[in-house]
Amino acid sequence: MGEPIGTAMDSLTAALKSKIIPNQEYFLQGSVMDTAVQVLLHRLRGLCDNLDSGAESFHDHEMCFSIRKGPPPEQGLSLRVRRAFDYLDAPWQLRYIGQPEIGDKSQPTMVRSSLDIACSSTIVEFLTELGCRLDFECILRGYMFRKGRMKITVSKVFKMVQGKTPDGMEAISQSYLVELSVLAPSGQNAIAEDIKIFADQLKPLVQFEKINYFTRPH
Amino acid sequence: MHARDEKNLDTSIGSVQLRINELKEAISSMIFKIEHDGDSLNWPGLLDNFALLSGHLTSVSKSLSAEKVPLLRNFSVLPLLITPVRDELLVQMTEGRISTFAHDLVPDYLRTKPDPLVEQKIASYEPKAGNLTYDTQQKQVAQFGKIINHIHEIADKAKQEWESETSSRTSQPATSSTVDTHVLVYAIGSGKGLKSENVPMVQPVLNQANNNLMGMGRSPAGQPSGSVPGQMVGQMNKAVSSIKTNIKAASTMAPYDRR
Repeated sequence: MGEPIGTAMDSLTAALKSKIIPNQEYFLQGSVMDTAVQVLLHRLRGLCDNLDSGAESFHDHEMCFSIRKGPPPEQGLSLRVRRAFDYLDAPWQLRYIGQPEIGDKSQPTMVRSSLDIACSSTIVEFLTELGCRLDFECILRGYMFRKGRMKITVSKVFKMVQGKTPDGMEAISQSYLVELSVLAPSGQNAIAEDIKIFADQLKPLVQFEKINYFTRPH
Repeated sequence: MHARDEKNLDTSIGSVQLRINELKEAISSMIFKIEHDGDSLNWPGLLDNFALLSGHLTSVSKSLSAEKVPLLRNFSVLPLLITPVRDELLVQMTEGRISTFAHDLVPDYLRTKPDPLVEQKIASYEPKAGNLTYDTQQKQVAQFGKIINHIHEIADKAKQEWESETSSRTSQPATSSTVDTHVLVYAIGSGKGLKSENVPMVQPVLNQANNNLMGMGRSPAGQPSGSVPGQMVGQMNKAVSSIKTNIKAASTMAPYDRR
């Protein structure tokens, strides 16, 4: 019995070593005010690949679970579960994202490790059984665009209001979150330059920044 | 002394000629550009050309008003020989524009007075102006001044409008806000502002304090606080929300305990 597991692990490590697993997310974040979101969407429609189909809309529920390895000062491991409100038969998604690396000024984007996998709705139960607890949850609604390997999302972030239907949620800001990201195997730093160029095309409508959200602002 | 003046005149005319040649070349290259790549010519390129021309014009007028240059208007040009015979030297000097120094051309090229037609018109106006009485002259001058002022005002207004428009356009990029970006990114990244557990932990304490406050505030009005629970709850919620904002403000003042 030990052998097949061993070979599976071996092939996984081999795949990791040969850098064919796209587990690095290169990304930039920004925001656009509600008043200008139509202008941004219009521009993205022109810049991105899905010209004929138009923007793809999404309406997701995201839950962030965390499990602590040690006492409070230590950062717990966090796992995100996502489900689509608008496609109820779509699988749920479990995602791990690591701590973002800001890099210095020469680094055009941030990088974080990212792994995601499709799963069923029992994932919440499973995680709870493992000892994870719900850290926070939110609702994301917006549009997604593609340009080559790049994914562009324009989304409104809503806070979950306890005991209310998904309609009774409140937006946490008067702006839409804009994210540019590409999943690539590690070491493909050239892609970061592409993201940067695309981000520059959206200026001055959106100012993209590298924000380390793990350290809170003081 | 005389020889020095002549030399001075020669050098200054030479420098003026040089500048004028530069100007001429710039104009001809611009005309060439417009004629040959008129389709691909863009506005900034054309503006660059105009800037070049204006630079040359400035240098011409500078060299004319330079200190060493004698007053050229004190000199006169006299046609010494007028002939209908073709002059090769002249053709070469004028790049083929003038072939003969003849009677029909000389008055045009060496003119120092206005065109005869213009002169005639001026001559017809001058006696008219002379015949006017002082009062009507003053009146007309005042009227003219008024019109000019009016036009000036219109131009000024248009300029102001244009400037305010451009300034509003440049100040417009309020399409994104760094504060909002941070709020959103921190919310998504670390759940700041989304975590609901924090609120219930604070609320009970607040409710108690609030109850006390409300009781004190209500008893003088003669209403038993327990009698209208629905209203009470509503009021409490309102009060709680206001206090919540206070707490937020306080936390920004003392940021170190929230880390």
